[in-house]
Amino acid sequence: MRRAFAVARLGVLAMTVGVVPAAAHHSGAMFEERKTITVEGTVKEFQYTNPHSWLLVDVKNKDGTVTTWGFEAEGPTTLMRAGIRPSEFKTGTKITITGRPMKDGKPAATWEYAVRTSDGKKFNPREGFAVK
Amino acid sequence: MRQTMRSVAVYVGLAALAVFLYITVGAQKPPRTKADMIELGRQHKTAADLFQALKNDAKGGHRLEWAKMPDWSGVYTRRPVAGFAFDPDTPPGALPTAKLTPEYQAKMIKRIEDLKKGIEWDPISTCAPPGVPRWLTEPFLREFVVTPDQTWLINEMVNDIRRIYTDGRDHPPEADRYPLYNGDSIGFWDGDKLVIHTNQLKAGIYQRAHPDYTDQVETVEVWRKEDDKTLGADVWVYDPPALVEAWFTHQTYQKLSDPDKSLRIRYWNCGENQNNTVVQTKEGATEFQQFTFVPGDKKQGDK
Repeated sequence: MRRAFAVARLGVLAMTVGVVPAAAHHSGAMFEERKTITVEGTVKEFQYTNPHSWLLVDVKNKDGTVTTWGFEAEGPTTLMRAGIRPSEFKTGTKITITGRPMKDGKPAATWEYAVRTSDGKKFNPREGFAVK
Repeated sequence: MRQTMRSVAVYVGLAALAVFLYITVGAQKPPRTKADMIELGRQHKTAADLFQALKNDAKGGHRLEWAKMPDWSGVYTRRPVAGFAFDPDTPPGALPTAKLTPEYQAKMIKRIEDLKKGIEWDPISTCAPPGVPRWLTEPFLREFVVTPDQTWLINEMVNDIRRIYTDGRDHPPEADRYPLYNGDSIGFWDGDKLVIHTNQLKAGIYQRAHPDYTDQVETVEVWRKEDDKTLGADVWVYDPPALVEAWFTHQTYQKLSDPDKSLRIRYWNCGENQNNTVVQTKEGATEFQQFTFVPGDKKQGDK
């Protein structure tokens, strides 16, 4: 756990947290409200499920071990509206992803935004709540 | 003499015009401001009373004909509201606008204080449906299916369908009523407006960081297509144990543009991924039960 943090960048979320909760069916109180963590890694699996999707990302630690992080996002139709389709994150895709980590230190976080390394494209699940 | 007769005729004519305008315009035009709607809620002690008054105003309402159906087709979602607040007019960070009884006000204040300490539990965490009236607040995809005898109000979340019976039936007899997540809804059409009365509801919460409602809660809703892309609903909530007076809100749902027809409501199995399982701690907080983060998690969740 602490090893994983060794390769992560900590930050502070600029947005007003709570305006749009990340979690649809459960409280988001287990996640940090304003602190963020940013990791670089490789997609292990994109679990495109209701009520929440999970992007599993393998992150290499400084000592060479690998920690699998889970980034929680909204369900499929909200992701679709945000332009986040299953095909965008095939297994093996390299990404940099930022989220609000869990307060208890487990390797999980909300998915705030992800940047795909190959083309620099940014993906924000919350854009799926916008009315267009 | 002729002059006098002419004056009388003019006055009688004007009076008749005034009466005509009152009957055809004034009396049929519902109050439009939020203050008027709040006052309308106060004038009726129960949801059933308000529903009956609206039905009387509409002379019982009318039955829709297949040839003249309102077009509520398309995929909609609730207009975004900060914190999914039940009352969209709630200022950011402010308490909900409901006028609560002291007991329920104290409960809500405790809920807010607990939240500041990271203690929060949402009853839908177990995959239970949100239930009415909370159903109105959820931010997912919606469809509205109108037929002469029933209207279906659909929210994709947990495949939630409210059936509104507009065929003239009444609610079940009081002795046979029992609490339901979406209650029992009957309604009538008044022009282009669908007026609904819902009772027989389960207790719940209006939304996170919101008050509780009891199983005595009842609602009256007046739905109307406000323009090509907007459905609006005036909503009065009555709940004597928790509310000092009816809580009026206006809810808005917007049609989503879908040029490539990619928006589809899918079956929503809340338990399909075990990584989504949460449990309530002794303190009342929420914690994840079992992360595994291995490929195939979602299949295990389906077992």
